[in-house]
Amino acid sequence: MIEAQNLTRRYGDFTAVHGISFSVGEGEIVGMLGPNGAGKTTTIRMITGFLPPTSGQVTVAGKDLFESPREARRQLGYLPENVALYGEMRVEEYLAYRARLEGLGRSEVRAAIGEAAERCLLADVRHQVIGTLSKGYRQRVGLATAILHKPSTLVLDEPTVGLDPKQIIAIRELIRDLGRERTLLLSTHILPEVELLCNRVMIIDRGRIVAEGTPEALRERSVGNPTLRLTLKGAPPDAAETLGSIDGVLSVHPGAGEGAWVVEYTAGSDPREEIFRAAVARGWVLLEMARERTTLEDIFVRLTTHDRAGEPEEVPS
Amino acid sequence: MRAVLATYSRELRAYFFSPLAYVVLFFFLVVNGFIFSVIVTSLSDPRSPAGPPLAYFFGGFFFWMLLLLITPVLTMRLISEELRSGSVEVLMTAPITEGQVVAGKYLAVLTFYASLWAPTLAYAGILAYNAKVDWGPVAAGYLGIFCIGALLLAIGTFASAMTKSQLVAAFVTIALVLLLFVLGLIDNLFTSEIVKQTLGYVNLVGHMEDFAKGIVDTRRLVFYVSASWFFLFLASRALEDKKWR
Repeated sequence: MIEAQNLTRRYGDFTAVHGISFSVGEGEIVGMLGPNGAGKTTTIRMITGFLPPTSGQVTVAGKDLFESPREARRQLGYLPENVALYGEMRVEEYLAYRARLEGLGRSEVRAAIGEAAERCLLADVRHQVIGTLSKGYRQRVGLATAILHKPSTLVLDEPTVGLDPKQIIAIRELIRDLGRERTLLLSTHILPEVELLCNRVMIIDRGRIVAEGTPEALRERSVGNPTLRLTLKGAPPDAAETLGSIDGVLSVHPGAGEGAWVVEYTAGSDPREEIFRAAVARGWVLLEMARERTTLEDIFVRLTTHDRAGEPEEVPS
Repeated sequence: MRAVLATYSRELRAYFFSPLAYVVLFFFLVVNGFIFSVIVTSLSDPRSPAGPPLAYFFGGFFFWMLLLLITPVLTMRLISEELRSGSVEVLMTAPITEGQVVAGKYLAVLTFYASLWAPTLAYAGILAYNAKVDWGPVAAGYLGIFCIGALLLAIGTFASAMTKSQLVAAFVTIALVLLLFVLGLIDNLFTSEIVKQTLGYVNLVGHMEDFAKGIVDTRRLVFYVSASWFFLFLASRALEDKKWR
């Protein structure tokens, strides 16, 4: 359980995070999205206790991060954006060091290392020197240290960066698995990953939460009309008029590629059948017809794109 | 305590796994061995004044040069490297305080420093084999080496906690250590007794001469413990301060 209340962080005159409040419950995977410089990393650093907030409060598993930092941190596993490890140590030594730092006893250390190495697919590099590992392996060592002491709360900043596709699938499975029993906050740039993993999404922009909800709810919230993508063989240029006269169709534009059309229609109507009939009646061959779903990507881009000219710039003076 | 021990053993291991440790150890022993042999050779000359050879060995010009060079080499990496690489982020989000990090790292460098000097005990052994050795001053001399090293390493630890650049840390260490030396050596510039006495408290060279003679003054021990403590306190504050910017 993570609870953040009114977190604000200033760097000199520049306010990186403006009074963000949110909570992540047990068994929940919450994704945090936002463009570079939106305040994601600052927020994450405040939640993990690395940066003290200028104002606001954080509790992790019911423990206040500033009043009882040790108890709170014990409940927390953290994978930072840049995984910095000690290059001269072997994987196993490093994990043992971290386990002892987290306060595990001698007898618990071995079991904890074994389990974390197994879950993070590190079994075959346990005795290798960290300095010789590839980026993907280092990322997994970082992830292993985050779950080593079985924290109830996990904060992962870009956990799948630098992994190959096969490893990404394995790590996502691990994250989904971990999210079932723990509280998990995930920051990522990879939008499909959010849709695959997260129960809830937070979009952060310029230090504020601009949207929050399940991926489905966010998609529904999106304004703009649904569109269809068509490919018609043998349709004349004036096919736009024919298509435009169909019930529910708002506009028709030629698309990219030969015979491609983009049809915008009112939400709630379904002109697909009529389009098919119209094409058949006129002898056009319908090669393709697909509904375009609004993706999280569209929502993300729409919420975080600004008309810079019209607004006062918020940059440090 | 467990967290301090974990940091301590990691840091000590880092020293012995880096080539630096062996380079330092090698040259340290070469230089010290050379100094020792020069002292013994010149004292064997019947015209030279009588005196215990190790008293010349502790507190000579080369002794101070070595300390001045070795301190920044040993301490500059200590915290700066964590700040530079960013590993400080996972370190400081673990259940460990800034004070415990500083303590673990400082104890590790102090242990390494002590292990640099340990082989020179053989010189006392060589002397004891050939002549009578008064063990009191020898023990006091090593105590002095330990105390002075403890203070200089605390200064170095503090400098390392202030910056992510090892080079800057090394320069700050050298500057602070030189300043401390100078403070102890300029007491004859002043006529005021109070100033002279105050400067006498920080006169490292004078302290070492006393230690080498076998004089163990508790005021000196209190000075070294409290001054080292002070710089370690500053180091943990400097590390804490990094968060607020």
